[in-house]
Amino acid sequence: MEIPYLVTPRKDTGLFNSKIAIWLFLASEVMLFGGFFSAYVFLRLGADYPWPERTLPVLPGLINTFVLIGSSVTVVFAWAALKMREWRKFQIFMGITVFCALIFMVLKGVEYNVKFHHQALRLKDFTVVEGHLGKEMEDGKPVLNHHGKEVEENLIYVEGSKLTFNTVRFYQPWVDELLTQAEHHHSKIIFTADLTATTKVGEPVEVIAKAGEALSNQMLSRLKEVHLAARSHNAAFRTEALREEWKVAKAENPGKRGWQIASGVNIDVEALAPKLLTEVPSVAFSVEPPVRFSFAPRDIREADGQSRLRDDTVVDGKLLDSPMVFHNIDAIDFQHLAMNAVKRGADPIAAIENSWLVKNDEFAREAWEWNKVQVAKIEKRLIDEYGLDEKTGKPNREPTLKERYRIGWKDLVAKSDGVDREKEMIKLKEEFLGPDYKGREDKETFPHLSVPREQIGFASKFTPAWNTFYALYFTITGLHGLHVIGGALVLAYYLFFGRKMYLENPEWLSNRVEVGGLFWHFVDLVWIFVFPILYLM
Amino acid sequence: MADTPEAIKKSIRTYLFVGGILFLGTIITVLVATVPALDVGRHGFDKWDAILGLTIASIKASLVAFIFMHLNHEKKAVYWLFGSGLVMVWSLAGLTALALGDPIFDPLFYSGR
Repeated sequence: MEIPYLVTPRKDTGLFNSKIAIWLFLASEVMLFGGFFSAYVFLRLGADYPWPERTLPVLPGLINTFVLIGSSVTVVFAWAALKMREWRKFQIFMGITVFCALIFMVLKGVEYNVKFHHQALRLKDFTVVEGHLGKEMEDGKPVLNHHGKEVEENLIYVEGSKLTFNTVRFYQPWVDELLTQAEHHHSKIIFTADLTATTKVGEPVEVIAKAGEALSNQMLSRLKEVHLAARSHNAAFRTEALREEWKVAKAENPGKRGWQIASGVNIDVEALAPKLLTEVPSVAFSVEPPVRFSFAPRDIREADGQSRLRDDTVVDGKLLDSPMVFHNIDAIDFQHLAMNAVKRGADPIAAIENSWLVKNDEFAREAWEWNKVQVAKIEKRLIDEYGLDEKTGKPNREPTLKERYRIGWKDLVAKSDGVDREKEMIKLKEEFLGPDYKGREDKETFPHLSVPREQIGFASKFTPAWNTFYALYFTITGLHGLHVIGGALVLAYYLFFGRKMYLENPEWLSNRVEVGGLFWHFVDLVWIFVFPILYLM
Repeated sequence: MADTPEAIKKSIRTYLFVGGILFLGTIITVLVATVPALDVGRHGFDKWDAILGLTIASIKASLVAFIFMHLNHEKKAVYWLFGSGLVMVWSLAGLTALALGDPIFDPLFYSGR
């Protein structure tokens, strides 16, 4: 059967099949992106933290806008060329379009990559520090974790003397890791006393793990088997006993409802005990001598005395000094702290000067003093240019919250170069990749900073976890990026595999290109809103 | 629609012109946002910057929709389809906006900016 209206339009709508389909699809896309944009508006209006204004790199975003607009023009040209039956021209314009999509995605990839490696830290007093963490080193070589990746200087150290494993939940790679660390410190993880259990009904207690036996995954797995077998046996046994009790109770109380006699139906635990097997929910090992174990922060809930890993392993021992070490900090942000101070009616400047960072770090103090001078200069300039309000005597324009309380990496560059913050110059490379630590090393633009564990409020890379702005940024740009990839694949298909159709039925191909082009324009249209909203506002 | 080769040849100039305006609009948006002297409203970002930025973006988006996507001379069915999508978005966003009058969070946040 021949499908109608593939090439020629239907009389009543005036549209061919794929055109009506693409417009239906675009209408649904409008609603999808519209939903995210309204989510953005409402999250921004309701944010309980200073919204990161104009925080994304403008230049890559601007180039991407040009690239998408340019490709929107070339895709129309490609369609027009096809309509005029100029295959060569079509190839050239469609080629440029697909290449533009490639540039767009590469720039997006660079931007994402920079974010994923950029560390953010909110201290307990809501000072925010940004930068990159140092790498754990030993004998001049980077330490690798069990995935073979470099470990950041952000570990939690516990002087472990006793380890208690949950026999069901223990995570084998972590057991291996603990063993490796113990071995590294010439220490042993062993049982101090025989572990005994009844494993068969009616038989005497037997030793299932001997004193002095060393920890291993095999041993934990064996104990897990013992535990699970005992649990399942005991559960069945108890259920059976309860059933018997109910039978007796029902016989003794004819005519009564279950709920009326339920309180009197109980199993005799003591009588049952000899028939039950020994459950082994957890096993404790002694670490001899105690080892300075290290853990990734996300894997442990640390406390002095007893820390707990995510797999329910309990580590007994003293919590050691576990600082988070920034190899380079590239921003100090007091906006959130100042905002909180204002909210409770305190003076933000005093709050900043009493913050842990300003009190304990020479560089932060210097940067803050420098910032105050800069803010005063901006204030003066604004008064010079826009004057004072005649009625109130207050300046018509004042520095923003960001200018007052955030010392960004470009400001740190201006500070170390000895120029005013409004005149800072950064390198082109830095526009894309962020601050060039190595190139600015000699001026100590971006210093080290060691933050004690107890000062840390929340830490994350610049991922959706950091705040709702980044959550939306990644959702919207990620979804848009998927559309770019999808659209480019379809257009590339017409470019590389369209020749046959062009020779057989050129009008059909040009209809297809028109529809693909419509989608491509829509992707451009979304970016026209994404760029100003996320990058410039 | 520009379906004949002659008509398409004519519209090529329009496409180039619109492309140029889109580039220009982008540059203006960036300048307004980054050059202090061109800042509208209060110093720094405020609602006037948002209004200006979104107005330029809307003009650009309309140009893409009307010229590149040929919405300036489309069939009725397309307007119905696409229009209903837009109406949906606006009405749902409008419904959510009702929550602003009845906030579940601290209303003090609205007063600051």
